[in-house]
Amino acid sequence: MELPGGTACWYGMAFALWVVAALLGLVGRRGTRIGLPLLVEAGCLVTLVAAAVGGDCRFALPMPLYLGLAPAAFLADGLSRWFLLLIGLVGAAVVPFAPAYLRHLERRVSLGVLWAALAGLMASMCLVVMAANAVVFLVAWEAMALTSFALVASDHERRSVRQAALVYLCATRVGTGFLMAGFLWLHQITGSWVFSQWSVSGAQALGPCLLILVGLATKAGCWPFHLWLPVAHPAAPAPVSALMSGVMIKTAIYAMARLFLLGPLSVPLMGPLLLVLGAISALWGVLFALLQHDLKRLLAYHSVENIGLILMGLGLAGVGTSLGSPLLRDGGLAAALFHTLNHGVFKSLLFLGAGAVETGAHTRDIEQLGGLAKRMPWTAACFIAGSAAICALPPLNGFASEWVLYQGFFALARTGPSVVTRLSGLLLMAWLGVIGALALGCFVKAVGVVFLGRPRSHEAAHAHEAAASMRAPQVLLALCCVVLGLLAPVVVSHLASVVRPAGQVGSAGLLWNLPLLPLAVALVLGVLAVAGLVTAGSRRPRERYITWECGFGELGAQTQYTAASFAQPILRLFGRVYSYSLEVAIEGADHRHFPESVVVTTGHEPYLETRVYRPLLRLVQRGAGGLLMRLQAGSIHQYLLYMIVALGLLLWLGARP
Amino acid sequence: MTPAMLLVVGAANLLLVPAFLAGVMRKVKALMQGRTGSPVLQPFFDLAKLWRKGETVSETATWVFTWAPRVFLAANVLVAILVPWSGVALMGGLPYAADYVYVLYLMGLGRFFSLLGALDTGSAFGGLGASREATLSVLVEPIVLLSLGALALQSGSTDLSTLFSGPVTPLVAVLSGFALLIAALGELSRMPVDDPTTHLELTMIHEAMILEYSGRGLAQIEAAVWVRACVFFGLASQALLRAWPGFENLGGLAQYGLGLAGLFLVGGLVAVAEGLLVKLNWRRVPHFLAFGIALGLLSALVAAARG
Repeated sequence: MELPGGTACWYGMAFALWVVAALLGLVGRRGTRIGLPLLVEAGCLVTLVAAAVGGDCRFALPMPLYLGLAPAAFLADGLSRWFLLLIGLVGAAVVPFAPAYLRHLERRVSLGVLWAALAGLMASMCLVVMAANAVVFLVAWEAMALTSFALVASDHERRSVRQAALVYLCATRVGTGFLMAGFLWLHQITGSWVFSQWSVSGAQALGPCLLILVGLATKAGCWPFHLWLPVAHPAAPAPVSALMSGVMIKTAIYAMARLFLLGPLSVPLMGPLLLVLGAISALWGVLFALLQHDLKRLLAYHSVENIGLILMGLGLAGVGTSLGSPLLRDGGLAAALFHTLNHGVFKSLLFLGAGAVETGAHTRDIEQLGGLAKRMPWTAACFIAGSAAICALPPLNGFASEWVLYQGFFALARTGPSVVTRLSGLLLMAWLGVIGALALGCFVKAVGVVFLGRPRSHEAAHAHEAAASMRAPQVLLALCCVVLGLLAPVVVSHLASVVRPAGQVGSAGLLWNLPLLPLAVALVLGVLAVAGLVTAGSRRPRERYITWECGFGELGAQTQYTAASFAQPILRLFGRVYSYSLEVAIEGADHRHFPESVVVTTGHEPYLETRVYRPLLRLVQRGAGGLLMRLQAGSIHQYLLYMIVALGLLLWLGARP
Repeated sequence: MTPAMLLVVGAANLLLVPAFLAGVMRKVKALMQGRTGSPVLQPFFDLAKLWRKGETVSETATWVFTWAPRVFLAANVLVAILVPWSGVALMGGLPYAADYVYVLYLMGLGRFFSLLGALDTGSAFGGLGASREATLSVLVEPIVLLSLGALALQSGSTDLSTLFSGPVTPLVAVLSGFALLIAALGELSRMPVDDPTTHLELTMIHEAMILEYSGRGLAQIEAAVWVRACVFFGLASQALLRAWPGFENLGGLAQYGLGLAGLFLVGGLVAVAEGLLVKLNWRRVPHFLAFGIALGLLSALVAAARG
């Protein structure tokens, strides 16, 4: 449907709103509580409407605004609109949360700059998913990296935040470097910057595609390039984490789908590669999430997991393309895209919940929390809903998209041409099951330790519920989880039309056959029936008493299970992966019966960091250290010389025929 | 069978068989231990007794504690309605409803709330039980997915009603059946994984989780566990029955009768085994469940090679 005034105008309007917000934020210090949030929110809502209702559109800026190499051209087709919808939806939900949340940072953080960066991030994310050629894409990609860096670094008076921001900045530099190299290589081969003209296949495409994959995987936070994610997310303010984890890392998924699966690039290796990376990523993310005690760090590792699940979907689509099976291709893509939206919704919900806990109880260390369900009932209920969604429990949205993924793998097992493909279909289903069970354990741990039981610290005992403007977005997102789950058949059939290659009329059999809605109704009715039965005619006494303590008298909060002890059996099970160690030292004269002290030390070696990345970094440092010192000697004359030489070189390059 | 008959049989199945199976298993176990044991109908009496009793609820508990058993029971009953564990499914008329991935995740929903309910009172026992139950499910889930996946591959559908109505390679049926049986022992916290009658808290899994429940809350959990036991033992016995190639050609009523007989046989055998086995050290439980994973893998391999 064409919106009044043209759909392109609506996107332009959103962009203008964000630019105005960014400028106002940079110029003045006022309006950070109402004015700027309203402007940013308006931009999100306009985008949401345009993406949901408006049709496809393409437009380019007039000649003077060309980017040198290629026109500033934009395209909003089905795939782009799906991601614009995600950006608009999550943005619209997160922005109202921010003003009340940011109040506790007011003294340390310059809120004007923060809102400017936030508006810039929204605008650049929209541009990334609408870019029609590689040059526009890279410019927007860089804008996105820089604005998000500014957001991560907003609380820069804290040392840990500065370090995290630096790690994030390095990750974006490396990622963009690989991406740029890949784009240049493809341009070299095809002579074009336009994505849809990059029809390269076979061995020729492998090199650039691998480079691009590394660049995108770094942004997405896929194993083994995920290191920045658990560092940057806890450092950023909660609404920013919600946006980055829920939306920003998904732009890499968009680019993968656009280039590798829906574009003319054809690399048969890409499908299995994505599948393997995704499978490792998913397991790795959830395993390390179990280890975390910082609520936001835990959620960040779950982003690694969910990106893994999405990549598994994309990988399945790639395998389907090379096997010539439209069912697998469409099923995998639909699962990946559906899960992209779902993860955006429930992950931002969980990050907002973590933010509410942070403001209410002044800590994110889950070992210090407990019993918040009594003090923060709204946040607790929403967090439980989000947890159920991320654990893929029916009838919520997480289940819907994982079900499509399961069906895709089952189709692979059923239609695969060889024993290996058929068996791997079944194995991947079991792999998903293990990941699901681990995720469930992890979120039971998070919910149980944070919201249930007794408070483990003074802060937790005196926590207060978040302001209404922080609760409403959480409730809205929780409702989205339910609605997206129940509307799954509609969403899947819409996605089937999005992922269908142009010209192909009907794709074979991508359908949703699970009667999720009747089953959900049955489940709800069942729960209510049981509840009715239980409360009916109950004149029996319901006594309140202390928790059973074996007759010792009321015990302190320390006797509760901690998060570490909850996760310990699972950690032991996967000890090899963690290189997990547990030592128990019991001391005392008669330490068998009357120990004087019991000290349990657990540890794990982050070998990916210590054995791979650190030596690599040291190598780079050693190689570049001396050179950098000579280049950057602190002499202004030398710098002026560089400028003149660079200018001369550029003039010479430009003047060449 | 006609739809009306199916409804009656299915409903009777659901209301009577789970508690009866629990009673039979208790009786067999008592006989194995040289005791007379309680009457076979004791679970029904237990349920009635618990229903009349008052409840003691921890001061720490929140709404999660109250609602967890309700969701747990409703989810498990819905699973029992969908899954043809005795050869007939109450909701057999709803196509594709008994999708086994959905069924597993529905059980996951029940587990999620039962674990939260265990943690809600802040009791160390609840935490211990919940932590172990969560660990067990990590090992059980792949067994179930692999063994049912192998069966599903043969029938070409993930719908359990379709899955159990087509021809199956006997080898796949046997491997999957035994894998499911091992999964059942883990999932239902039975010997040698957990001793359901123990009252030494440090060794308990399931009993530690429900320690804080009493009265109607406990009744709901007990009922849900019996229903879940029926579903798991039923899946195993249904798979094992498929090892006999003539089973397909029998009439609906004969299949149902054999299904029930198989269910009770499996339950009885488990009870006999409980009389003979000792409970495994908690750290050795993964080794035991690994057999199940291995059987599931073999089953999947055979199915993939044939498919």
